[in-house]
Amino acid sequence: MKRLSIALCYTLLFLFSLSFANGEQAEIRILHVNDFHGFAEPYKPFGSNERVGGIAYLAAKVEELRKEKPSFLLSAGDMIQGNNWANLFQGESVIELMNEMRFDAMVVGNHEFDFGPEVLKKRVSEANFPVLGANVEGLKILTPYIIKELRGAKIAIIGLVTEDVPISTHPRNIPGIKFSSPMDTVEKYVKELKNKTHMIVVLSHIGHPVDRILAEKVKGIDVIVGGHSHTKVTKPVKVGDTIIVQAWEYGRALGLLDLTLKDGKIVRFEGYLEETKPKIGKEDQKVLAIVEKYKQKMDAVLNREVGEADVDLDGERGNVRKKETNLGNFIADILKDVSKADVAIINGGGIRASIKKGEIRVKEIYTALPFDNYIVAIKLTGRQIREALEHGVSGIEEEEGRFPQVSGLTFKYSPFDKRGSRVREVLVAGRPIHLEKEYIVATHDFLAVGGDGYKAFGEAIKTSRDFSVIGGMMKGKKVVYSDSGRWLRDVVVEYIKEKGRVAPKAEGRIKEIR
Amino acid sequence: MKVFINDKAIHVLPDMTVKHALIRAGLLKEIEDSKKVYDEWGNEVGLEGALSEGIKIYVR
Repeated sequence: MKRLSIALCYTLLFLFSLSFANGEQAEIRILHVNDFHGFAEPYKPFGSNERVGGIAYLAAKVEELRKEKPSFLLSAGDMIQGNNWANLFQGESVIELMNEMRFDAMVVGNHEFDFGPEVLKKRVSEANFPVLGANVEGLKILTPYIIKELRGAKIAIIGLVTEDVPISTHPRNIPGIKFSSPMDTVEKYVKELKNKTHMIVVLSHIGHPVDRILAEKVKGIDVIVGGHSHTKVTKPVKVGDTIIVQAWEYGRALGLLDLTLKDGKIVRFEGYLEETKPKIGKEDQKVLAIVEKYKQKMDAVLNREVGEADVDLDGERGNVRKKETNLGNFIADILKDVSKADVAIINGGGIRASIKKGEIRVKEIYTALPFDNYIVAIKLTGRQIREALEHGVSGIEEEEGRFPQVSGLTFKYSPFDKRGSRVREVLVAGRPIHLEKEYIVATHDFLAVGGDGYKAFGEAIKTSRDFSVIGGMMKGKKVVYSDSGRWLRDVVVEYIKEKGRVAPKAEGRIKEIR
Repeated sequence: MKVFINDKAIHVLPDMTVKHALIRAGLLKEIEDSKKVYDEWGNEVGLEGALSEGIKIYVR
């Protein structure tokens, strides 16, 4: 009986294949996600109290929809980096669940490079599906395109990633790897594939606005399944002859695109986003088991000892917001060292807890530095540094989070003077600051864009034009370092691991005077 | 990189996201108060969404 069923299935598949070849219709379904970033569990988005997402719920929906039509499940990139559930395992957890969900293909996103080339190669080798990257040179493990057959229709899927990867990840992550123009690349492959296939799908990690330009400029693309801009394209849009879709972010939605093909053309399409709502009992049990397994492993990783503190590290709210503390100094020193800056300025409000003397565990660093911030270094004049420090001490009465913790400089201030005129005697490396001279100042992305009211960095960014990649690192007139692929807390974890023991001091970098 | 929020020009680094542009424009608080961000075609965009040169986004 089983043999008979299998034979019947093959006969039906053969007939479908034959019928499409004979000019009849074929109906296929594309299911898609993008920018998952390891958000395996339901979460509350910023500004909302509603729990959304949850990959086990999304996976159950995939299975339900797969039963209705022959389907592909595709990912438009940025899957393995972001949330701790992914980062603590360098994305291994995500690949395991993607294998369980039987993805057909994914394109590499810019954040897939954040753990370095060796980790990426390992992740790709673990995947039971091809990982695409047509415009990536120097990484042989990636495939430019695949041709899949569904209901007799031959479908090419070409993968494209933003050519801006070198400005969004550290150069150590992409040695010898080049990213060419998505436009030129896809043009070349469309020419090569258009006579060999019935339909061309571009799996794109270049962002929705650029997808639209691609559709306008390159003829012959039937569908663009997009990512990178985290865009909620609720209904497929058509630009020229190309259908464009994108499914928001973090597994909050599953994209569905139904296509009817006839004589090698799409004669009908419709689609929507199925938003993921966590409803107990509606999970895919196998995917849920993977989520739970890594959750337990996360606890073990977070409890791992990374080094030892010979002193209590002071991150108390009442201290980091009104005076120099040894933990503030320690973190500011790391920023300065890592980015090879002259000085570092961070906001005390970014430090959320102390770490007790003794063994330092990963979770203590994560608790002290809970925000997803990364290191940026910008050239500021001495005058701008002084202005930044004035701003930093201007909210001391209210214990505002802007109070500066610094490295590479010392200063005195009087909280009794009026706001804006409190700072005295700023020294950089022991010498009086030159107001007109430029110094490299390390900070994090939040302050760099003017968070906590720090205008000086924002002004420097405004005047920093003509960004380019020099020596593998993004450089502008004013910006000398930016590593958006590594959270500050992870940099601190690595730093402590390397040092083993730490004993930072509050050593008089910031002095209150009358 | 120059982007536009509610038709006002904002400068951010090329690898920065919608969230950074909102901080720069002093509008992140509005998202906390339940407003959302949309692109010029009316699609909602996530806070970590990538920006591109000249993009127009709106908070409402």
